[in-house]
Amino acid sequence: MPTNRYSIKLGGESGQGINTLGVLLSKAIKSIGYNIFSYREYPSLIKGGVASYQIDFSNIYIASSSKVCNILTILDPEAVHEYIKSLTQGGILLYDDSEVVFTPDEQAWITQNSIHVIYLDSSKIALEAGGSAIMSNIVMTSFVWRLLGLRQEDLTIVVKEIFECKGEDILNKNLACLNSGFNSSEFKEEYSQSIYIPKQDLEQNNNKKILTGNDAIALGAIASGVRAYYGYPMTPATSIFKYLGNTYKETGILIKQAESEITAVQMALGSMAMGTRALTATSGGGFDLMQETISCAGITETPLVIVLAQRVGAGTGVPTWTGSSDIHTAIKSGHGEFPKAVLCVSDIQSGYTLTQQAFNIAETYHIPVILLTEKQIAESLFTVEALPLNLPIQRNLNDGENRYTITSSGISPRWIPSFDKKPYLSSSDEHNEKSQSTENSEEIKQMSDKRIQKMTTLLNNLPEPVLYGNPDSQTVLVSCGSTKNPIIDAINQGMDIAYLHYEYLYPTKTQALLNLASTNKNLILVENNQTGELGKVLTEASSYQFKKKILKYDGRPFFLEDILNIQI
Amino acid sequence: MAIDINAYNSNLKSTWCPGCGNFIIHMALKKALSELDITPSQAYIAFDIGCNGNGADKINTYAFKGLHGRAIPLATGLHLANRKFTVIADLGDGACFHEGLDHLIHAIRSNYDITILIHNNQNFALTTGQATLTTDEEKPMYGLPDSKPERTLEPSEIILSANPSFYARGYSGDMQQLTELIKAGIQNKGCSIIEIMQLCPTYNEECTPQWFMQRIHKIEDSNRTLEEARKIGTITDESINTGIIYRNTQLKTYYELQENRKDSQTELVDEVKQYDVQKLFDQFK
Repeated sequence: MPTNRYSIKLGGESGQGINTLGVLLSKAIKSIGYNIFSYREYPSLIKGGVASYQIDFSNIYIASSSKVCNILTILDPEAVHEYIKSLTQGGILLYDDSEVVFTPDEQAWITQNSIHVIYLDSSKIALEAGGSAIMSNIVMTSFVWRLLGLRQEDLTIVVKEIFECKGEDILNKNLACLNSGFNSSEFKEEYSQSIYIPKQDLEQNNNKKILTGNDAIALGAIASGVRAYYGYPMTPATSIFKYLGNTYKETGILIKQAESEITAVQMALGSMAMGTRALTATSGGGFDLMQETISCAGITETPLVIVLAQRVGAGTGVPTWTGSSDIHTAIKSGHGEFPKAVLCVSDIQSGYTLTQQAFNIAETYHIPVILLTEKQIAESLFTVEALPLNLPIQRNLNDGENRYTITSSGISPRWIPSFDKKPYLSSSDEHNEKSQSTENSEEIKQMSDKRIQKMTTLLNNLPEPVLYGNPDSQTVLVSCGSTKNPIIDAINQGMDIAYLHYEYLYPTKTQALLNLASTNKNLILVENNQTGELGKVLTEASSYQFKKKILKYDGRPFFLEDILNIQI
Repeated sequence: MAIDINAYNSNLKSTWCPGCGNFIIHMALKKALSELDITPSQAYIAFDIGCNGNGADKINTYAFKGLHGRAIPLATGLHLANRKFTVIADLGDGACFHEGLDHLIHAIRSNYDITILIHNNQNFALTTGQATLTTDEEKPMYGLPDSKPERTLEPSEIILSANPSFYARGYSGDMQQLTELIKAGIQNKGCSIIEIMQLCPTYNEECTPQWFMQRIHKIEDSNRTLEEARKIGTITDESINTGIIYRNTQLKTYYELQENRKDSQTELVDEVKQYDVQKLFDQFK
C-alpha cells in the first residue's frame, strides 16, 4: 500500500453529476493545501452507464491514481457492484440509495476486509434542510468531508465560490445541505478512527491551482501567440476548444468550429501560410483525415501544428478511455517522404511548454509538428503552483529571392506575405527553387535532399531524453507520455529505479539510451499500448532491442501499483 | 491607373491544350486584378488540383497550390489570418462538386469574404476525362462506355440553396464579361461564387464555341429573389444565362459576426507575440 497518499472514489450513473461533484471535492481538498490528482472514468454516452471520479491526494506532488480507494461514495446502485472491490482493507463504503443490495459474495468480501458500510439517506437530509433532491450530492460531499476529519468552514468556502454565481437562494440551500450532511447523526467516531489521511502542514498555499492537461495546452497556445483555433469535436481533444472558446473575449483568438477535420487542418495551414499562428486539435480518427494535409505541409514547407489527443483502439475504439497507440500514426503520418517532428506531453508543465516549442519548431524548420497527448492527461486534474516560464518566440523569418532556395541546413528563406514583399508560390507539386513545378530528375532529387536535411538539422538541436530517479539503479524504465506520472510517483514512494523519459519522440535522440544499454542495466519499456510503439521507434533509430516490455492496453492508465509491482 | 498586366505574368509557358478555356480565364483574372489596382503582392490565390491548378506557377501573385478539393478551406484560412489580402480560391467542377462539396456549402453559409472561381468544364480533365456531376448524362466517359449511371446536378441549384452573398456565371469565351464578373465578385463583401462555363476541346469536344454561342444569353444585374435567380440560373438544353445571377447584400460576413474580433483594428498576422497568461491562470482555482 502506498504511503502518504489517500484516495476517494465517487461512483454513479453517467450524467448524475459525478464530474461536478468530483471537481468540487478536488478543489476543496486542494484548498486546504493538499496536492490532488483526479481521474475520470466515464462511458461514451450522455445518460446511463456507470461513471467514476477518483481523487488521490497527498502532501507531496502526485500525478497518478491508485488502483484502490480508501472511501468509496456511491450515488447509484449499479455502481456499487462495479467498484466495491476497489476499496482497500478497512475502507469506507458510503451509499445513499436504499435499493442497494449486496450479493452474498460482496457481503462476505465486506466482512473479510473489515469494510465500514454507511447508508446515508442524503435525499431526505437535503429535503429536510430545505434543499432539492439534487442537493443530496452536497450532503454526501460534506459527510465525506466529516469522515476525513476536516473543518466544515473550509468546505463552506469552496461551495460558496462555486455556487455564488447561481444566486443567493440556491447558494443558501446548498449551504444548509452542507451543514446537515456534515452534522448528520449517522456519523460515528469509530469511522474516523479508520482514516489516516496524510499529515498536512496547515499553512495553506492558496497559489495552487488545479488544471487539466488540455487546459495547459490551451494556455501554452495562447502564450505562444496562437491567434486562431480551428476545431471539430472529438474526445479527448474537445476541451481545448472549450477553453479557448470560453476565453476568446479576453484573448481575441478567432475560434472556428469547422465542418470537418479536413477543413480545420486546411484552415490552420492557410492561416499559418499567411503568417499567423493557428492551432487545431483532434483524436485518432480525425487525425487520419488530416494526414493528407500533413503531407502537403511537408512538401510546401508550411509550418503546421496539430494536437493529437490519443484514446484507445482502432476505428471508434473505446472513445472515452485512455491509451497511447497513435505514436506510430503520428510519426508515419502523411504519404511520401518529408520531415516532421513529434512531441509528447505528459503533464501540465510539458503541455504548456511543448505547445510553445511545437510552434517554434514548426516555424523554425517550416515543418508539420504533431503534439501528442492522451485522455489520461487531457482530462485529468493536476495540481500546479505556477506555470513554467514562457519560451521566447522563434519564427526564423528571412527575406530572400526564392522561397525554396537550396541551403546546407535545408532551411530556405521564409517571409510573411506582405504588400511590400516579393510574392511567392507554395507548391504541393514537386518544385524547383523558384516554386516552379518540375519533373526534372536532378531538381526532384535536389529539393527532396534539401527538405530531408532539415531532419538532421533539427535532430542536432533537440535535447536528449531526461533521466529521473536513481541514476545508479540497476533498473531503468523507458517511456513517454502519461506513463511518466505513476513512475515518478513510484520513485517518490521510494522505488529504486531510474526512468528515461522521452518528450521529443521524432526525430529521435538515441545517445542517452545507448549509454544505458551499453551497461548491464535492466532496461524495461513501459507503454500504454499493445505493441510497444515508442520501443519500435527507438529500435529503428538506435538498433537497440528491448528485452523486457510492460504493455497495458485495456483502456486504463498505468496506476501507481502497476509500477510498484514491477519486479526489479 | 490600372497596373501593367505583365506584372502578373510568370515567365513560364502554359501547359493547357490549344483552345482550352483556362487561357482566357487566367487572362480575365489578371485583368480583373490589374483593373482593380490589386498588385501581385496584394493577392493570394489558393489553387486546387486539376488543369486549372496547373496555372498556379503561371501567375505572379502570392499563391498556394494545395490539395485536391481543398482550395476553399485553404483560402478561408488565408483570408481569416489577413483580411487585407484579396483571397481567391480557384478550382474545377471535380474539386468543387465532388471532392470538396462540403466546403462549398459551408463557405456560402459562413459567408467568408473570399472569391471562389469554379472552372466548370464538365469533367475531370487532368486525369483524362472522367465524369463529374455536370457531365451530360448521355455522354460516354473514361471508364464509362455507356455513360455515367448517376444523375447530373445543376450547380446553380446547389449554390442558390445555401443563399449566397454573390453568385455569377461567366463563360471562358467572353473575356470582357468574365473580367467584369471577377471584379464584381472581388469587390463584393462576402462569399462570391463565380461559376465559369469553360471550353474543354479535348474531353468535352461537343461543347464547341459555336455550341456555347447558340445558348449563351447575357443577363442584366438586377435585384432578384432566390426564386427568380433559380429560374434564371437553371441551364436548359436551349439556354445558358451568364452574368450576375443573385446578390444578397443583407448578409454579414463571417468575420463581422465574430463577437471578439469584429471591431479589431489589427489582423491575426499582426498579433503573433508572447502573451502573458497569468490572469487566465489566476482564474483557475
